[in-house]
Amino acid sequence: MLKRGIALMLFMGLVAVIGGVYAIGEPASSETQTAPAQEAWQAEFDDICSRSQNAMTFSQQELADLIQRCDVLMPKIEKLDETRKKVYMGRLRMCRGLYAYVLESKENQKK
Amino acid sequence: MLTYSNRRRTRKNERGPFLLVLACGALFLASVASAQIYLPSQPTPLPSNYGKVILDKYSSTEPGGVVFDHWLHRSKFTCRLCHVDIGFAMRANATGIRAETNRLGFHCGACHDGKRSFEGQTIFASCSSAENNSQCARCHSLGKTNVRKYEYKAFTARLPKALYGVDWETAETKKFINPVDFMEGISVKKAPMQTRQDFAITTNLYWVHPVRFSHEKHTVWNGCELCHPEIFHTVAKNQEQHSMVANIVGHNCGACHGQVAFPLNKCSGCHPSGPTWM
Repeated sequence: MLKRGIALMLFMGLVAVIGGVYAIGEPASSETQTAPAQEAWQAEFDDICSRSQNAMTFSQQELADLIQRCDVLMPKIEKLDETRKKVYMGRLRMCRGLYAYVLESKENQKK
Repeated sequence: MLTYSNRRRTRKNERGPFLLVLACGALFLASVASAQIYLPSQPTPLPSNYGKVILDKYSSTEPGGVVFDHWLHRSKFTCRLCHVDIGFAMRANATGIRAETNRLGFHCGACHDGKRSFEGQTIFASCSSAENNSQCARCHSLGKTNVRKYEYKAFTARLPKALYGVDWETAETKKFINPVDFMEGISVKKAPMQTRQDFAITTNLYWVHPVRFSHEKHTVWNGCELCHPEIFHTVAKNQEQHSMVANIVGHNCGACHGQVAFPLNKCSGCHPSGPTWM
């Protein structure tokens, strides 16, 4: 009887430890899930805006694609905290504005 | 013996130089009046105060208003780095700088974080903590004396001068300054920019020399997106309408020239074929 009681307590202790480990481990795993999501918008932002220096060399199609990528990225940046949103939205608007400006300029040249 | 007609001719000859002086005087007064119309009515501030930004939202309480010396930062960084990558607006009170945003690593805190080093020195942290009070006055220096590290006269002593303050273009060309355009963790890595060609802008007034626009220099300092389309937005050639009046009120070239870049009354800065004394 005593042995059975000890075994039961040990079993319950083991369950508690395993459960605790999972419980402690969960936020960390959710962090690792959100980190790549954050990096995804940042990587996309970097890729889009890294091309602004040579916007004049792009074709109209390439410029249109970049503008579309900006439009897709904007709602993701809208979800950031206030300051981050203001800074990155401002930068993205500048990139988008430039691409739209160059695209319009190229369309005008063709007319 | 002088005849009547000879006397009239002599009088005419005597009046000639007088009329010439009168005409020159009138022309001079007209040009001064014209300049008064076109040039800013506010006197241009001293070079040490030129482009200075006062953030005085909290000036009535400690730690007091912030004095930002534009000349100091422009000697070390490109316009693009601060106004595009870090996000400082080109208009007063539009950025939303707060101690909290600095602490989070934005605005001043993007560089002034107490960790980054520049020119072999750690950049002091902005608004970092209450214990760091001794550093506050380096920026919150409005109305205080002997608290700032850099003074205009000493700092610019080695830099080439123009008629008005530092000649920044020459300073960079002659390698007195080398403005940084990339900050790790803030800037986006970009391919080297293709050189933009300088071009001329003709004027409608025959006595005003064409503008020689240094597109190359402007793109090196500003990138493309700082000017297009925000400041110069017309894409069709010869459709962009420039005027000195628009410049004076802060449009087009006046977004920077007259605010932080050389003032509009330095005519030869843009109209290089004009008289050099201008």
